[in-house]
Amino acid sequence: MSTDMRRDFADRDELIAYLRSEFPAALAEGAAVSATRGGRSAAEERLGRLDPARYAASRNFLNGAVTRLSAYLRHGVLSLAELRSAALRAVDDPAAAAKLINELGWRDYWQRVYAAIGEGIWRDREPLKTGVPAKSYAAELPEDLATATTGLACIDAFSRELVETGYLHNHARMWLAAYTIHWRHVAWQAGARWFLSHLLDGDPASNNLSWQWVASSFSHKPYIFNRANLERYSAGVYCRDCPLRTACPFDADYEELEQQLFPRAPRPAEPPRRRR
Amino acid sequence: MSLSKQPVVWVHADCLSPTNPALMKYPGAPALFVWDDELLTEWRISFKRIVFIYECILELPVVIRRGDVVSELLAFAAEQRADSIVTNPSPSPRFKAISSRIAAKLPLQVVPVAPFVRPSAPLDLGRFSRYWRSVEADAMRPPDEA
Ligand SMILES: Cc1cc2nc3c(=O)[nH]c(=O)nc-3n(C[C@H](O)[C@H](O)[C@H](O)COP(=O)(O)OP(=O)(O)OC[C@H]3O[C@@H](n4cnc5c(N)ncnc54)[C@H](O)[C@@H]3O)c2cc1C
Repeated sequence: MSTDMRRDFADRDELIAYLRSEFPAALAEGAAVSATRGGRSAAEERLGRLDPARYAASRNFLNGAVTRLSAYLRHGVLSLAELRSAALRAVDDPAAAAKLINELGWRDYWQRVYAAIGEGIWRDREPLKTGVPAKSYAAELPEDLATATTGLACIDAFSRELVETGYLHNHARMWLAAYTIHWRHVAWQAGARWFLSHLLDGDPASNNLSWQWVASSFSHKPYIFNRANLERYSAGVYCRDCPLRTACPFDADYEELEQQLFPRAPRPAEPPRRRR
Repeated sequence: MSLSKQPVVWVHADCLSPTNPALMKYPGAPALFVWDDELLTEWRISFKRIVFIYECILELPVVIRRGDVVSELLAFAAEQRADSIVTNPSPSPRFKAISSRIAAKLPLQVVPVAPFVRPSAPLDLGRFSRYWRSVEADAMRPPDEA
């Protein structure tokens, strides 16, 4: 039987120092601490700033009015039902909260799939629709991706943000996952393990099943993006000073990218999905 | 579900609200959180995640220990002369495995959390769109009917 761990700390620095000595192995993944604090009081503070209508209009933009409540939801500090109630209270017309509630539905959906398939979340739900043979996906994350040294300003910024803050905007997660799987031919499981290690909201259900959605083992086709899409939703902040701005691998229209990334894929009749 | 007479509450990392239903059902019962060392290693949980979770736990009336979850829970229950363990659900296979190891030694009561939706029939989970069609009206209901 182990002894009780400490509960009395003068401040956050003292807590951090204690945890450093208690969990030295975890420091191997980086010593960063997030500015996001744990606990119900911190969650309620964020809950008080909820703006469902602005959320609906701006959630796909990196600077949009997203809630950043995911880590609290992930750890049950706050329930989906509580957040839904707060969203409905914050609006006059329930329709203004519909987009946010729909996104909460995604979490509920992934949780239910997880309850049904358990460890199956680590295996392809369906065959990939990329036409790329399964064995040509690397089992490990490439070094330059993990160390944010690919040279691509956007990708390196997302990689750093993941490791330093434990949070990424949904769109950044989609771009980073698509780059990892489709441009670098890395198995989605390697990317999923990377995210789980670092995301404060790291959740096997939402994470693995989203990676599968990008990969196309849990969707009708692979998710890809292009430079115009990334530039629009990031307000161009990465492309502006990117060392590879004239050699950008994302700078093409969707049809060209599809030809290039998935030359052997069965051609779908509909245009590729841009975003959800 | 019958009430346990002298339970201990097992608080796990899927349910870190101070008003989690197991704590609410047995206010004042001794409660324990266990850092699952094996899980931390297997998932390579980074330091910032540990800090975040620890801060959540510090707002709860729980004793904090680490090691093998089942051994720690059973030892804590024995110290407290408890007749049962009470917790909240989790979809993870690890939770199921731990639960069945506990249940072989001591009654385990799992107190449900208020659901997001209450589907009246089994859901088709093949795609989100099908799930959403079945639950949307329920998901949007006003809070006073929740
Ligand atoms: C590759 C990839 C990996 C992901 N990994 C995780 C993960 O480990 N844990 C996690 O909670 N989410 C994950 N997501 C989903 C989503 O990106 C995050 O939930 C969201 O970005 C969290 O930020 P927020 O709280 O500001 O979200 P908001 O947009 O403010 O949404 C509110 C809440 O709704 C839920 N939600 C919103 N979008 C989604 C979604 N697409 N899927 C599931 N739930 C959603 C979250 O609980 C979120 O906190 C992943 C997405 C992708 C593409």
